[in-house]
Amino acid sequence: MKSRMITGFTRSAAAVSAGLLVLALVMAPAAMAAEQPKAGGILTFAVAAEPPGYDLHQETSFAALHPVAPHYSLLIKFNQWKYPEIEGDVAESWDVSKDGLTYTFKIRKGIKFHDGSVLTAKDVKATYDKIIFPPEGVRSARKASYAMVKSVEAPDDQTVVFHLKWPAASFLANLASPWNPIYKADILAKDPHWYEKHINGTGPFVFVEHVKGSHWVGKKNENYFMKGRPYLDGFRAIFIRDTSARVASVRGGRALIEFRGFSPAARDDLVRALGPQITVQESPWLCVLTVALNTQKKPFDDERVRRALSLAIDRWGGSAHLSQISILKAVGGIMRPGYDAYAATEEELVQLPGFSKNIDASRKEARKLLKEAGYPNGFAFTFKNRDVKEPYEIMGVWLIDQWRQIGVTANHVVQETAAFSKDRKSGNFEATMDWACDFMDEPDLQLFKYVSSSKSPIDYSKYDNPKLDELYEKQSRTTDPKARRKIVREFEKIVLTEAYTFPTIWWQKINPHWTKVHGWHQLPSHYLNQDLRDVWLGA
Amino acid sequence: MQRYIIKRFLLMIPTLLGVAVLVFVLMRVVPGDIVELRYTLEGTAVSDELLAQERARLGLDKPVVEQFATWMWGIVRFDFGKSMWTDNPVKDEIALRLQLSLQVAIMATIFATLLSIPLGILAALKQDTWVDYAIRVFSIAGLAMPSFWLGILIILGLLIFFRWLPPMFYTPFWVNPWENMSQLIWPALAVGYRYSAVATRMTRSSMLEVLREDYVRTARAKGLWENMVIVRHAMKNAILPVITVLGLEFAFLVGGLVVTEQVFNLNGLGMLFVESVARRDYTMTQALVVLVGFTFILVNFAIDIMYAWFDPRIRYG
Repeated sequence: MKSRMITGFTRSAAAVSAGLLVLALVMAPAAMAAEQPKAGGILTFAVAAEPPGYDLHQETSFAALHPVAPHYSLLIKFNQWKYPEIEGDVAESWDVSKDGLTYTFKIRKGIKFHDGSVLTAKDVKATYDKIIFPPEGVRSARKASYAMVKSVEAPDDQTVVFHLKWPAASFLANLASPWNPIYKADILAKDPHWYEKHINGTGPFVFVEHVKGSHWVGKKNENYFMKGRPYLDGFRAIFIRDTSARVASVRGGRALIEFRGFSPAARDDLVRALGPQITVQESPWLCVLTVALNTQKKPFDDERVRRALSLAIDRWGGSAHLSQISILKAVGGIMRPGYDAYAATEEELVQLPGFSKNIDASRKEARKLLKEAGYPNGFAFTFKNRDVKEPYEIMGVWLIDQWRQIGVTANHVVQETAAFSKDRKSGNFEATMDWACDFMDEPDLQLFKYVSSSKSPIDYSKYDNPKLDELYEKQSRTTDPKARRKIVREFEKIVLTEAYTFPTIWWQKINPHWTKVHGWHQLPSHYLNQDLRDVWLGA
Repeated sequence: MQRYIIKRFLLMIPTLLGVAVLVFVLMRVVPGDIVELRYTLEGTAVSDELLAQERARLGLDKPVVEQFATWMWGIVRFDFGKSMWTDNPVKDEIALRLQLSLQVAIMATIFATLLSIPLGILAALKQDTWVDYAIRVFSIAGLAMPSFWLGILIILGLLIFFRWLPPMFYTPFWVNPWENMSQLIWPALAVGYRYSAVATRMTRSSMLEVLREDYVRTARAKGLWENMVIVRHAMKNAILPVITVLGLEFAFLVGGLVVTEQVFNLNGLGMLFVESVARRDYTMTQALVVLVGFTFILVNFAIDIMYAWFDPRIRYG
């Protein structure tokens, strides 16, 4: 994956148009890795919300992950310089059996928890037992991702073995999930809820304090198992809810970075104000806005009507315009554009309904479909959206205009988020804004939204198609990437043709940060690469 | 006087009870579910089973009447329960923010009082002169300018002209007074300005009214020193409505500084309030409403006592 690094802006160049990014340098990750790190310093970063709890096995928000992740190690993790390549964290090596049913991990020796005890395979087993087979009353948010696991064993202190029920293409990558920090077995045995309110990991930073609603502090783990790491003396996460206050915090140097991302306007403001002191990393984000149509309500029970709505959307034109004012930028199908392994190429994409670059032809087809469905003069419906401007309301307003082009009138109802979520979940809508953000590019995760609603709790369209469920299972168990890609393409074609839920435009991850922050490479997800192990501060 | 205080104090109980019932009902009427917000907002495919399990843990699956009875029984024992969002005791979460909110409210009140009373009296004494006009313009500008907007201007000014931003997290005064004041002085000024504008206008009009009273004319006719006339005779009577305004504004500041807290990233009660409502954190919202209600009632109670102290007609009436 390549990330765009923008440095050295002059004030005047930025004033003409920061969007031109004329001084952008495309730097290879390897070149960044070659920089000479410096030890010391405290990294301050802004987080838009604060963690409700500390147990990442059950939390689902970046707000928990950003301050908590630096305290923990994973079994394996994504290599930030070579994403999606995986590297060992507490595991020093691993081996997969020929039948793909047994994964054996060798655990590094000498890793210590922050309380001084030694990490062994027993801790890894206890951690994954909690995630995959949680005891009564213990919440595990991503348990379903490990449905293929039969058992986890720790035959000795340095070996962990996962036995699978079937070979699963996504299994190894799922073990690199940032949501799976390794906990201490003895603590879990005494109280499986202990980690909800306490921290004791083997990560690069030791927990110091969490002042509720204010900030979170970690200090360097002097016993960290990787010699010479972390570089930082510590970190301080500051919880700043208001977007403009977050931007101001970076501008004023109170925070050096915000890991989730800023809007293009905020990026341009910072570049204008701070010039070469700011570096911008940008790349397509693993988040997409989708439209879910309630297939149990007329006229959305008719595939032709649904497809017409998707055909009316000029995604390519929208990308060019919306990316100027929002984080909406990349055009893609159901997999993140740019993820070569499984995403449709542009050539494949333009063949799919709603993705043609000839918008006039698409809209002509849309009108024809509406006429066939009995709506020659269009129809009116209510489109529900959440009350968050960037990017939800921006997209909502734009979509309404797109649908107007084929004679369909949408009444944009913007709801407070709690009420919106309730209506979306209960099916109290005709059409609704929907979205997906995942921690890694993986068909098992991205395709799940489009599986029958009886199987997928995040398919809000109430649509069932056994063929799609079958394809989902098939791709999930196909370990040959080429064969899997073919199935994913077939799945995608059905989804976009039946258009019960369809992607609009993918997000662009924009991370402006102080140039003195080094060793953090932007990955497509704001859930990844948060342990701060390699981060260091320059002059 | 004692009877008067006891009577006013006892009236607080049914008022607080009414507030408690009202907030409980309103929170249940507003659609939304804390469990869905916590687990599904970022698109994670969390099973319905887990959501149901979590609702049961929070007691949301129980009949509303039972939930109300449990909550009321807690209040009677001064136990406000745990926040449904963080699982921490509500009283701890509130106590943490209360010191910041109280400090800002006190600082803003001191600023507003020191500014508004002299300015209001001066404007009244110099009615229709350039001094009066200048004070009126100053106070009308304060009324017209929302505090949060002034806060944004202050932040931008500090950033653009001094390349400096106030600290983004709270340090208690006794830990580091300089750090504490460099964070809180700005919101106190932003809020205090509007606050002082209201009080200045009130002081001016109240003074103008009193200065025309017969007893003031009599005092002057007796040959009393002008300062004595103003302080002892006019101001003591003119101050009553100003006290009401200052008191109510103070109570409002304790829990109502929502946007200003956002602008300055203050970890105060206002932010906690809005976040709790947005998250449908019933226990936290209910406790906060009761607390803010209690503050208002207490301030009103104090105002009533002060009225009685300033004006004997009230306590003997």
